[in-house]
Amino acid sequence: MFNSISNNFGAPQIQFKDYQAPNYVVLNAKVTFDPTNAAYQACDQLEITVPDLTIDRSTIGGVFVRFIETQSYSWGDAIYDGGTVLKSWIKNKNTIIVEKQPWFDQNGPLTLYFVTMYAQLNQGANAIKGTKQRLTVTTEGNYLRFSSDTFVVVFDHWVFMHLQFSSCSYAQRDLPWEATFEQMPANVTADVPVPGGGNQFHQNCFGMGECHIENKIFTMDRRVMGFWDTGREPFAFAFLVREGEEPAPEPVEE
Amino acid sequence: MIALPSIAFGGFSGSAKGVTARQVGGRSVLSLKCFPTGAATGAQLARRASLKKISKSWKALSSEQMREWDRLAEHASGASSLGQKAEISGLNLYIRLNSYRVMAGESMMADAPAAEVAVPNVSYSQVVVTPELVVFGGIKHESAPLKFVVKMSVSQSAGVSNGWSKTVIITPGMEDDWGEADVTRLYLKTIGVEPVPGEKVFIETYWLDTATGFTGLECRDTVVVTGESPYQRRVKATMDNLDPTEESHVSSLDVDFSTGAPVAQFNAQCLGHSNVASSEVYLDQQLPAEVVGTGMAIGRSNDDDGHINAQSYLVYMYNRNGKSQLTFAHRGGPYYTKTEVFGTGIIY
Repeated sequence: MFNSISNNFGAPQIQFKDYQAPNYVVLNAKVTFDPTNAAYQACDQLEITVPDLTIDRSTIGGVFVRFIETQSYSWGDAIYDGGTVLKSWIKNKNTIIVEKQPWFDQNGPLTLYFVTMYAQLNQGANAIKGTKQRLTVTTEGNYLRFSSDTFVVVFDHWVFMHLQFSSCSYAQRDLPWEATFEQMPANVTADVPVPGGGNQFHQNCFGMGECHIENKIFTMDRRVMGFWDTGREPFAFAFLVREGEEPAPEPVEE
Repeated sequence: MIALPSIAFGGFSGSAKGVTARQVGGRSVLSLKCFPTGAATGAQLARRASLKKISKSWKALSSEQMREWDRLAEHASGASSLGQKAEISGLNLYIRLNSYRVMAGESMMADAPAAEVAVPNVSYSQVVVTPELVVFGGIKHESAPLKFVVKMSVSQSAGVSNGWSKTVIITPGMEDDWGEADVTRLYLKTIGVEPVPGEKVFIETYWLDTATGFTGLECRDTVVVTGESPYQRRVKATMDNLDPTEESHVSSLDVDFSTGAPVAQFNAQCLGHSNVASSEVYLDQQLPAEVVGTGMAIGRSNDDDGHINAQSYLVYMYNRNGKSQLTFAHRGGPYYTKTEVFGTGIIY
């Protein structure tokens, strides 16, 4: 865990969870900023100054950006949150860059989600294959279902997670969701963006929600109106840092 | 023979019949006018024309701009000779720095840089020259605006100890590719013949600051050409590897497996095809078994209708009949055929 030293786009200090290997870095953070501020408007790319990283440059990774939009009607509120993924890279040991795009400058405040792996190339060895584990999702009455491409690849210090939402019982569609992810390590805690879902007011980017993972429990309360629209395929794509040691398993009584 | 007054008296300057005498930094220097030998190559002709153009452009500068170049020249140094540090004029510095900039594809600069720039020296761990491969490895990376300049000679007898006059510019400025500079194609294009095993190649390299035209010290090296080398090229899939007999559905491709980590680096501009939510790529060689499998990468639509939504893609990678196939198969997010798949992606 470390804090950013400064940034050039008017965001507050950013707290990063990190796993830093000699040849790659996994970073998790969430920060919200106002795109109307002068610093953001003056910058060409978003630059975050940080304490020394283990790597002095990286290839490109993905950082998600999201805006919140609620419209009120006589029958209630409707959610039209949106966003997309931005390119990000480590420029040097002390600087993380995120590309600046003007797409959502009118929709602020904006939230950046770092659920990102920064790697290096020409490291003298080929990529190492991990082991895919399909996620077993448990909900009361099995109301929430995911596709077969919902899985984790678990390593000692971090996890890759891909979720692809499939369907939900009608009665639960507008209620908060809670599910257990059996294969997710308990020491992962993160807010994870959920791109996808229809968004009639933002049909260039479509929807983006947010879910929370903690102690193997997935929760998601806020979802766009068109979450289950055909062909909009809500999903999550995240490299997540594991914190500390895995809690010891509960003792089994003889 | 041309009769010249003794230069011991100094103060002599002027030209006569191809001999020029001049005073440089208190030294008397005599030089013979040089004439190119042999037919000039296209590159040489272009460079000479460029130098002529740069020289002429000096006259278009304002007096203030010329003074700034003279001021910078007072602090910059020319090549040393006979133990004396040579001085350089503002005009010559203007020509030198601009010729380097033009060589690197930059425009001429009228204003002198604020100060001389310290450019680092080249450092690399190996250079391999075989008939099929000319590559520098383990280059200590320098960031833009520095670019790597390579001069090399045609291979010569291994007994030749001084072949530096035979070197020509192989690349006027390239960025190292993660510590590697593969100049095989550039060497063959420039020199015209493959290096001959057992012969010697002379190599000069330096960093060029393309913002100012200043260069680092030239690093000189020689290497005896070998028939083959244990040097292993990185495992990559690029447009250069496409199988020309198959139809691929990308307009750009750069998948790099050299991370030494549980991810590959995916970069592909997918175009889609045939109303299926995927793009196929066929390579002319097999991928190593250890990277054959499945990857997952993020994508972002970039079609002509302005879609910018995030997507996720499974990347199936497998070998068949001595070749390999990569399939970028859409999974999450609204699908649009034109999508850029990018970034680090897990493989399993």
